[in-house]
Amino acid sequence: MLTINLFNGLTYGALLIVMCSGLALIYGLRRVVNFAHGSLYMLGAYLGYSIAGHSNFWVALIVAPAIMAVLGVLLDRYGFRLLQDRDPLTVVLVTFGLLLVIEDFVQTVWGKSNLSVQAPAALNFSVDLFGTSVPAYRIAVIFVGLSVAVGLSLWLRFSKVGLFVRASSTDPTTTAMQGVNTDALSAGVVGLGTALAGLAGIVAAPFLSLSPSMSSDVIIDSFVVVVVGGLGSLAGAFVAALVLGMVQSLGAVYLPDVSAILPFVIMVVILIWKPAGFAGSRT
Amino acid sequence: MSIKQISISTATALGVGAVVATAVASGTVLSLLTQATIYAVFAIGVGLLLRQNGMVSFGHALFFGCSGYAVGIILQMQLMSAELAIIATLAGLLLIAFAMGLVMVRVPGVAFGMLTLAIGQMFFLTASRSRGLTGGADGMNIEWPNTLFGVSMSVLTKPGSMFLLCWTTLVLVVLLLSLLLHTRFGSITEAVRDNEERARFVGIRTLLPRAAVYALSALVTGVAGLLSALNTGFVSPENLHWSLSGVALMMVVVGGYKALWGPALGAVVYFLAKDILGDFASHWMAIFGVALITVIVFSPTGIAGILDRVFLGRRLARAHHH
Repeated sequence: MLTINLFNGLTYGALLIVMCSGLALIYGLRRVVNFAHGSLYMLGAYLGYSIAGHSNFWVALIVAPAIMAVLGVLLDRYGFRLLQDRDPLTVVLVTFGLLLVIEDFVQTVWGKSNLSVQAPAALNFSVDLFGTSVPAYRIAVIFVGLSVAVGLSLWLRFSKVGLFVRASSTDPTTTAMQGVNTDALSAGVVGLGTALAGLAGIVAAPFLSLSPSMSSDVIIDSFVVVVVGGLGSLAGAFVAALVLGMVQSLGAVYLPDVSAILPFVIMVVILIWKPAGFAGSRT
Repeated sequence: MSIKQISISTATALGVGAVVATAVASGTVLSLLTQATIYAVFAIGVGLLLRQNGMVSFGHALFFGCSGYAVGIILQMQLMSAELAIIATLAGLLLIAFAMGLVMVRVPGVAFGMLTLAIGQMFFLTASRSRGLTGGADGMNIEWPNTLFGVSMSVLTKPGSMFLLCWTTLVLVVLLLSLLLHTRFGSITEAVRDNEERARFVGIRTLLPRAAVYALSALVTGVAGLLSALNTGFVSPENLHWSLSGVALMMVVVGGYKALWGPALGAVVYFLAKDILGDFASHWMAIFGVALITVIVFSPTGIAGILDRVFLGRRLARAHHH
C-alpha cells in the first residue's frame, strides 16, 4: 500500500518537474510569471489527443511539444519582448488574458466533456515493484521527469548556451554587452519552456483525463511548487515538486479530509518563515 | 476633489440611483443592473489594493465567498439575529484579513499574486468538499429572516429596492473611501506604495498601513459578498472560484485602477458587454481575454485613464483658447 502511494507521488512529482522547469526557465530569463502556463499544458494535452488519434502516441509525443515550442517562440517575439520594459504586473495580466483566450479555444475546439488518451501499447503492461504491481507507463513518466531534471541541469551547467542562459538570468544587460544575443536566447528559452508545458500535457494525458479544469488544477500546484522552491530556481523547483507530489499522494490516503489544503498549508508556513522561498527569489 | 465636489457628486449619484430604481420597469434590466452594482463594489475592493498598495490579488473571491458563507452558517446555526450576523461577519472579516495581511504583504511582487490565488483555491476546495456545514459543491441557501433592519424581506427583494440598496451601498463605499484616502492614511499608504524604503527612512512604519489596506480591500469585497448573498439568497463554491477573482481583476484593469471609481466603471462595461454579446456570450472568456490584453498594452490606466485624458485635453484646449 505504501509502495504504490509513494510511487504515485513520485509520478505526479515527475509531472510537476516538467511543468515547473518550464515556468522557472521563463521566469529566469523574462522575469514573467506565466499564468497561461497551465493552459499551454492543457493545449499540449489536447493537441496530443488529436495527433494520437490520427497517427499514434509516439508521434504525438514529438509533434505536440514541437508545435508548442513554435507557439512559445512567437509568444516571446510578439509578447514578452515587446513588453520587456513594462511593469512586471502588466505582463502577468497579459498572460492572464492569454489564459482566458486559450481556455476558450480549447473548449470550443474539443468541447467540455472528458476525453482520454490510451497509453501506448508498448508500455501497456504492469511491473512488479516490491511486491506491488505498478503500470509501466507511470515508470516511464517518472523517467521523463528525471530526464528533464538531469538534462536541463547538465545543459545549463556545462553547455555554452547554458552559460549564456545563466548569465542572462543574473544580469541581462551585462550579458548583452558581452555580445550575447539575449533576445534570440530568450525566444529559445521561452520556446523550450512552452514545449516543456506541452510535453507535460501529452505525458499526463494517458493517466489524467483531459477536461477543461485540468489546467487550473495543475497551475495551482505548480505555483505552490515554484513559490516554495523560490521563483526562478530550478533546483528549488525540482525538490519542491517531488515533495508536493508525495504530500498530495500520501495525504489523499492518510489524511483524506485535509489532503486538498495540505499543500497550501505547507506553502503558507514556508512563506511566513522564508518569504522568498527555499532557494531565495532572484528578483 | 474638494469636500464640496464630493458631496455634490454623492448627492447626484444617490439621486440617479433613485430615478433608475423607479423609472426602470423591467425586472430583468433591474436585476442586471443590481448584479453590475454588486460586482462594482467587489471590483472596488480589488482596485483599492492595487491603487493604494500596488499589489495584484488573484484570489479576492475568497472574501466575496467567505462573507456569504459566514452569514449563511451563522443564520443556519441560529447563533444571533441577522443584523448582528452581518455586523459580526464584516468585523470578523476585517480582523482576519488584517492578520492575514501582516503575513501576506511581506511576500514580494508577483509571488504575492500567486499566493492569493493558491489560498483562494484552498478555500474553494474546502467549501466544495465539506458536506456538513456548507452543503459541499451544491452550495447552501441562506435563511434570511422576514425582516432585516426593520424592512420587510418581501419589500427588500423587489428588483427596484434591491437595486437601490446595492447602488446606495456602492455610492457610500466610494464616498467613505475617498474621504478616508483624503486623510493622512491615504498619503501614508501612497508613500509606502511608491517607495517603501524611502517611507521607512522618513519614519513611517510600513507593514501596518499595508496590512490595513489589505484588510480594508477585503472588507469592501466582503460587503459585495453580503449584497450578493442577500440578492440571491444563496452561496456556493462558485463564489470562491478563482475565475471570479479573475473577472473582478479584469474589471479593475479595464475600468482603470488609478481612479477609485474606475473598477466600478469596468464592472458596468463588463455586464453591458456580456448582455450585448448575447449569442456570443459563450465565448466571453476569449473576448474579455483579448479586451484585457488590448487595454493593458495600449492604455494601462484603463477606460478611466482614457476619459481623464480626453477631458483633461479639452480643458487644456479651452484654457489655451482663452
